[in-house]
Amino acid sequence: MRREVGIVGVGHPRFGKSSVSFTDMCCYAAVDALDDAGIKTGEGHGVDQLFLASMGAQMLNRQSGIASALVDTLNLRPAMAESVENGPASGASAIKLGYMAIASGMCDVVLVIGGEMMRVVSGWEGTDFVATMLHPIAEYPYGLTLPAFAGMFTRLIMEKYGVLESDLARVAVKNHENAMYNPAAHIQLVPKLEVITEDEDKDIINPYVAEPLRLYDVCPVSDGAAAIVLCAMEVADRFAKKPIRIAGIGQATDTHAVAEREVATDLLAVRLAAQQAYKMANLAPQDMDVAELHDAFQILEIVESEEVGFFPRGEGHLAVRRGETKIGGKIPINTSGGLKAKGHPLGATGVSQVIEIVLQLRGEATGRQVEGARAGLAVNFGGFGNNVVATILTKEVE
Amino acid sequence: MNEQLFAYRCLQCGELHHPQHFVCRKCGARQFEKVLLEGEGTLVTWTRVYNLPEGYMKPFLCFGIVNFPNGLNVSGQLEVDQPEIGTKLQTTVGVVKEGIGQDYFGFIFKAK
Ligand SMILES: [Zn+2]
Repeated sequence: MRREVGIVGVGHPRFGKSSVSFTDMCCYAAVDALDDAGIKTGEGHGVDQLFLASMGAQMLNRQSGIASALVDTLNLRPAMAESVENGPASGASAIKLGYMAIASGMCDVVLVIGGEMMRVVSGWEGTDFVATMLHPIAEYPYGLTLPAFAGMFTRLIMEKYGVLESDLARVAVKNHENAMYNPAAHIQLVPKLEVITEDEDKDIINPYVAEPLRLYDVCPVSDGAAAIVLCAMEVADRFAKKPIRIAGIGQATDTHAVAEREVATDLLAVRLAAQQAYKMANLAPQDMDVAELHDAFQILEIVESEEVGFFPRGEGHLAVRRGETKIGGKIPINTSGGLKAKGHPLGATGVSQVIEIVLQLRGEATGRQVEGARAGLAVNFGGFGNNVVATILTKEVE
Repeated sequence: MNEQLFAYRCLQCGELHHPQHFVCRKCGARQFEKVLLEGEGTLVTWTRVYNLPEGYMKPFLCFGIVNFPNGLNVSGQLEVDQPEIGTKLQTTVGVVKEGIGQDYFGFIFKAK
């Protein structure tokens, strides 16, 4: 019989530029999560397993076996430990594995840490590193990158559905506004919509990165780590915080080469992962009160909001224009600031998204709280959509 | 050097693939024959990228997805001044990345 799993601790130091080592950065997040759960480090900590999510520590920081290193420096020995690599969806994948470890009965308490230190390398080395997840023959050697695919995808969506450059900018401004209330966000300033879309110097202020995408349509490069404590619901009363339940998880894959997709304007893996998560949770899109969607590029927030069932296909940008995705709107999206403003340290992102939903369901999202939120969805997007994990969290009825 | 690029046709069901797959995406068979990819294609979408990764000494590069008359879509570089969706382009194969001791060949689509 499958056991129920909850989240009882979260740790989310501010994303940005790390002044400490990769492992220390991960440890700061981990101890914040343990403290939040009321777990005392040292003897009797009760953590059975640690998962470390990182896409590139082996390449960027030239370090391997990091989960084993962390379990030792945190003095959680002899807990089980593994590292998880699933591109930019590593964080949600690690949470899924934590869920499975507990649901199976093998573990009672699991610590999941996601971390990435990307700013140790130059911009073009970082761009190259991220592009290594593209197809090694049909894509990577051409100089194709994730922004290149996002640019080509954006152009198709603009042609088909009438999305404008200003719609992308509206999403960016909304997310920057939300990030002003998130102390963990990397970027704490709000660009003016008129300046980035209409100013005569907009090509200098907001230059093209991958046409038609401009600088403000793309997330920044950030260092960061985030951590959560998962537990079996039957032991949840050991901890300081009330558990937030993991009600559903879905995951789906798609073609490696983007050109091979059946419908070039679809994000099929997003749709399938979300449908699976709704089914497992026995909930529907309209039951969601808040969502974190993977806006590495602003076009993705719009199309994901359609693929997860919040809006009909081709109408996500209209909902943005009507303000329905703002806090106070029909379905607030990326209340944390999203990847756009909070930052996108690859391996940390999936964990960070789930933390924002936990804070919203606890009622702890000060300044950006969605009143009465009881259920939320997080979508963590790997590759250019070839591996997507969707997670649904719910608040327990009192 | 006259480099060529191929599609891979499933010997059992005829489904075309590019890049090569280990198992046919349609019928599950595992044997393929090579089919030359050449001639004309139609531009599906494109971008001009200014932040290139390490190893490309250019201020920007254009990329596109091109649809062949046989139905296959592939990614490639574009050497077209003003690309437009729906334009017919000529398929060529050339060096897409210069490597130390090894150049990488790929599709470079040009205006007709
Ligand atoms: Zn076949």
